[in-house]
Amino acid sequence: MSAKHNTPALKHHFEDLGQQHACERLGIWMFLATEILFFGGIFGAYTVYRYLYPHEFEVASSHLNRTIATINTIFLITSSLTMTLAIRAAKLGNKGELIRWLFVTAALATAFMVMKGFEYAEDFHEHYVPGRMFQDELKSARDEIAGKSEEDAKKHQFKPERQKWAKELAVQVNHKHVDPGKVQLFLCFYYIMTAIHGIHIIVGIGCILWVAWEAWRGTIPPENYSTVEVVSLYWHLVDAIWLFLMPLLYLTGAGYKH
Amino acid sequence: MADPTPTPGATNDDPHGIRKDLDKPGQLVVVFLAVLGLALVNIFGSTAMGPGKFTLPFQLAVGSAQATLVGYHFMHLKNGDKVVLLTALSSIFWMGILFVLFLGDYMTRHMIVD
Repeated sequence: MSAKHNTPALKHHFEDLGQQHACERLGIWMFLATEILFFGGIFGAYTVYRYLYPHEFEVASSHLNRTIATINTIFLITSSLTMTLAIRAAKLGNKGELIRWLFVTAALATAFMVMKGFEYAEDFHEHYVPGRMFQDELKSARDEIAGKSEEDAKKHQFKPERQKWAKELAVQVNHKHVDPGKVQLFLCFYYIMTAIHGIHIIVGIGCILWVAWEAWRGTIPPENYSTVEVVSLYWHLVDAIWLFLMPLLYLTGAGYKH
Repeated sequence: MADPTPTPGATNDDPHGIRKDLDKPGQLVVVFLAVLGLALVNIFGSTAMGPGKFTLPFQLAVGSAQATLVGYHFMHLKNGDKVVLLTALSSIFWMGILFVLFLGDYMTRHMIVD
């Protein structure tokens, strides 16, 4: 069997499809290496501050919504499976199945972002955002228990408008020497890391829908399956990064709060 | 002109050898369940019944196991060319250097006596 077969999928500057696919894979892996280093820097900064302020990071993490994070983890892991099944369909030349799996993947990714939107909205509604809203909410709660002993502060009936996190944090700040500035530092990491990851998800959705469009147009025959594979490699990396974000951001403190 | 080298895995039905490394759906589902199961292990590890002060290394180890499964099976590193494997491992290696250098700085600052 000859390595050189004339096919429209073969670009003129490659010897054969095997060489072309190898180059495409290497190219996307070089890009993924830069992405790993990019996220590595952020994870590194997080690690340093978590090492310096472990207690504040645990306290701050325990007020995040782990239920939504767990559901989102299931969405992303499932989307990795469906994306891999899309490559299989592309290799087999099964156009209908390819488009179907790509749409399922895009739907799961969209569901992830919708849940993330709900989570951000909840955090914003609860004023669990670093800055003036956080400081005002915490100050109001701390003022209510000012001068009280720790036991009395824990039993104190806060005003109904006080947020749950502010009630608990006020007691910890007043009596456990928790630094609210470091709690906000954790929240900065939480918002920056999840937002950067979210941007990657949105880019991924765009790429997946573009591949689905190309597949529908019939420009992805089995010889061109690497188009799907290149996008899938990016998608799996986004999934893998979440597998580290989840424990570092949401599972730091012991016990569920939501 | 001599016939060039044969395409690995090529057959009459598949002259470009595209289907030679075709994934088995059953195997993909097993990997998916394993990654999902490890995610649940990680969540369990964050509860009061978890490994306590070893929670962080435990969770990072579980996360690494999940990422390895995703990389090896879903990202097809198991079928990857050596140069692809080298690229993937080099990114981990460079990230390791990154961590060693700045953690070596921050974790030893308290040892400096003015």
